[in-house]
Amino acid sequence: MTEQQTRIPSLDDPEVLVQTPATIYDTVPPLAPRTEREAEFYTLADGEMFVNLGPQHPSTHGVLRVVLKIDGERIVDLDPVLGYLHRGVEKICENGDWHHAISNCDPLEYVASLHSEALPVLAAEKLLDLEVPRRAEYIRVLAWELNRISSHALFIGWLALDLGGLTPILYGFIERDEIVEMLAALTGQKLLFNYLRIGGVNGDLNHDFLSRLGDWMSRAGKHIDEQATLMNENEIFVNRTKGLGRIDRETALRLAMSGPPLRATGVPYDVRRAHPYSVYPELEFEVPTRNDGDSYARYLLHIEEIKQSLRIIDQTLEQMPDGPVMAKLPRLLRIPPGRAFIALESPRGQYAAYAISDGSDQPFRFRIHDPSFFNLQAVGLLTPGHLVADIMAIMASLDPIMGGIDK
Amino acid sequence: MLPAEARGDTIETIIRPGSVPAVMRMLRDEQDLRYEVLADVCGVDTGQTMQVVYHLWSPLASDWLRVIADGLSRDDPRVPSITFLWPGAEWAEREAYDMFGITFEGHRDLRRIYMPPDYLAFPLRKDFFLADDASRAPGQGIRHMELPEQPAESRVRPVLRGSPGSGAVLAADGGRLQVATAAAAEASPEPSRALEPRETGASDSPGGSAS
Repeated sequence: MTEQQTRIPSLDDPEVLVQTPATIYDTVPPLAPRTEREAEFYTLADGEMFVNLGPQHPSTHGVLRVVLKIDGERIVDLDPVLGYLHRGVEKICENGDWHHAISNCDPLEYVASLHSEALPVLAAEKLLDLEVPRRAEYIRVLAWELNRISSHALFIGWLALDLGGLTPILYGFIERDEIVEMLAALTGQKLLFNYLRIGGVNGDLNHDFLSRLGDWMSRAGKHIDEQATLMNENEIFVNRTKGLGRIDRETALRLAMSGPPLRATGVPYDVRRAHPYSVYPELEFEVPTRNDGDSYARYLLHIEEIKQSLRIIDQTLEQMPDGPVMAKLPRLLRIPPGRAFIALESPRGQYAAYAISDGSDQPFRFRIHDPSFFNLQAVGLLTPGHLVADIMAIMASLDPIMGGIDK
Repeated sequence: MLPAEARGDTIETIIRPGSVPAVMRMLRDEQDLRYEVLADVCGVDTGQTMQVVYHLWSPLASDWLRVIADGLSRDDPRVPSITFLWPGAEWAEREAYDMFGITFEGHRDLRRIYMPPDYLAFPLRKDFFLADDASRAPGQGIRHMELPEQPAESRVRPVLRGSPGSGAVLAADGGRLQVATAAAAEASPEPSRALEPRETGASDSPGGSAS
């Protein structure tokens, strides 16, 4: 593993960068192919060519590079290249203590980071067998659902933007801005909230948050309907998304997909119901599904999920109990040895973590399962045969967030 | 049936690596099991062996099923791929290969997914040290799960960030990173220049004695 090998030119090597500046964006990797699949992909047939999509393309929602093999305007095959945002979060979590893991997991899903920062919290609570105060659980659910709505509102805008429509993202940002301001009043942060704590949350509800929330809730449903009519009846949008990127139930399950892309194929797999956590068993909501499995179905599913989230928020505000928001815990937290698997339903699907504790204050292993990572794999299956322009509509409808994919 | 053991609130079963395809096929396709949702695939380095851990979900079961393929050798970890059952495991297995060096037999495209293609080390293995980790748990070497008691004299000197040749830190060589093991560092004649290491006997970091 560690023995000295002969020097291989690397994209990271500063000398190579200086000597051959023109080749760094070559589609063909500088090394000999290591697998049959790679050799097959990087061999051109008659009339085919490579095109790099990304890494800095605005429609890839982060720093994703996709090598497209195209024949004219048709995509023959594609090879996503990941790792541009790789920070080694799992390794960093192993080297900090459990409290540090919360803020390290925050930027994974930077559009809905209350969900990704819940991973170490829920894992540690499961290993500690800790009962969280009920008020804290309700505040968590309230914050999670608000964050889900802000993420979904942005998804709808992004999807339209990637198809060339500018207006919906402005409407999407209206919702998102209001929710973000609201969450900033609650947590103190606008993007990476760092609000959840092992045993509760960092701070109770305050007047600023509640007044903003009440103000927004009085018109949220109307806003969502408005945004939906803007796109549901838009002929260009419907024509470009209907029937595009269609995936069936079996394939979606075999591809280990989750979240809206899976539920758009008719599988009612939602972790909030499939394996309930927090206080979701006490709340009434439906798991909307669709049967078409195409980009349009995914879009409609997001709208329905926003409405269900509004229902949940109403209930949490009604049923919110009084009491403390933080369990009593020792300051230097030693997590008992053991293994725990926890999962939660983020806006993009099942966010999961497999944590191993060896009894110290650091996780021994902290595996992060990101839903976008698995959902994005479907691009390789969905896009061949389509036009280059359609890859945006397909990829945006899968809603990948590269912060979590690259970890 | 499988020897399953309830641990916490997750059902867990430990199998041999060779039986992974048969077990997973049975779990997925048997009508009274129907573990059709592949919740996770990941590698684990316990310090002594490598594991590949699968988490499955079934509409018929009350809980996650954890299948651990245990006993992979750390020198040459090999396990059959499950991409013929779940093609979606392809990237997860590539990630486990990238981070642990686990070879998945029958995988169509087993290459690195995050790290550059010419990278040599496997970052999530326990013998891959970050400077922070090494300075936090001095002389511990691999963090074992059972935490064996080590005599004080067998410990190597504490490793400090940036001190050349002083131990298990990442040494930059020609733009590429290499892992220098503690043993290699002890053999290195070059003395530590940057900072004088503290005495090993003194418990110098809060996590050092416990981890």
